[in-house]
Amino acid sequence: MSLGALGAWVLVLLAVFLTGRLWFRFVESILDRIRALLTRHREPPAWHPLPQEEDKEDPS
Amino acid sequence: MGFFSKLFKGPEVDMEKSSANAKKMRLLFDQVVENGGSYRLIFGYTEDVSRFNYGFVHGSKTKIGNLIVGWNEAEATIVAVPTVPDLSGCGDPTYYRRSEILKAYRNKYPTDAFVIYPDKKGYLAINAYDWLDDESLYVYVSQEEELAAFTDFFMNRFATK
Repeated sequence: MSLGALGAWVLVLLAVFLTGRLWFRFVESILDRIRALLTRHREPPAWHPLPQEEDKEDPS
Repeated sequence: MGFFSKLFKGPEVDMEKSSANAKKMRLLFDQVVENGGSYRLIFGYTEDVSRFNYGFVHGSKTKIGNLIVGWNEAEATIVAVPTVPDLSGCGDPTYYRRSEILKAYRNKYPTDAFVIYPDKKGYLAINAYDWLDDESLYVYVSQEEELAAFTDFFMNRFATK
């Protein structure tokens, strides 16, 4: 196999890989939007932020 | 010499970072669990693996859920508190009292996990390791001793079979 043919084959594989990634992201974004529409009235789960530690340095 | 000895030693735990995160875990846990100080803590995580098939693209996705896991030996109770790898906050706790659960056992295959069935409808599989390096996915904490203590508690005083 010549170097040019090898390079063309790598390019084809790269194109297939990138198309697959794009298709995956596209379908995922549509599914996320559908999920968001279906669950928009649901209350988000409770979340408690990390309490800030007060600096208790001795003033003396 | 110094460079190569470091190279072959592999990754080392940053104990300062680990201790800071252990303190944050304690703060979060005590904030949401009543009498939280009576519980010992480890970090654990759950894995939710789902398969997808989008036409010519198919495979599997894994969702990781971080947990602060507390256990109280006297009350034979495990508490799981959902959190995030940077420990910026946590969700509400879920209590698993030995007297109330359906069953609990340690699973070895496909992954080493502590499995708790509160009822027939669902289960919680807690994965836990001494230390996990990937800070983007897991809480950075070294917990060799605590994990050994949790394993002993789970196997000898909590597991149902």
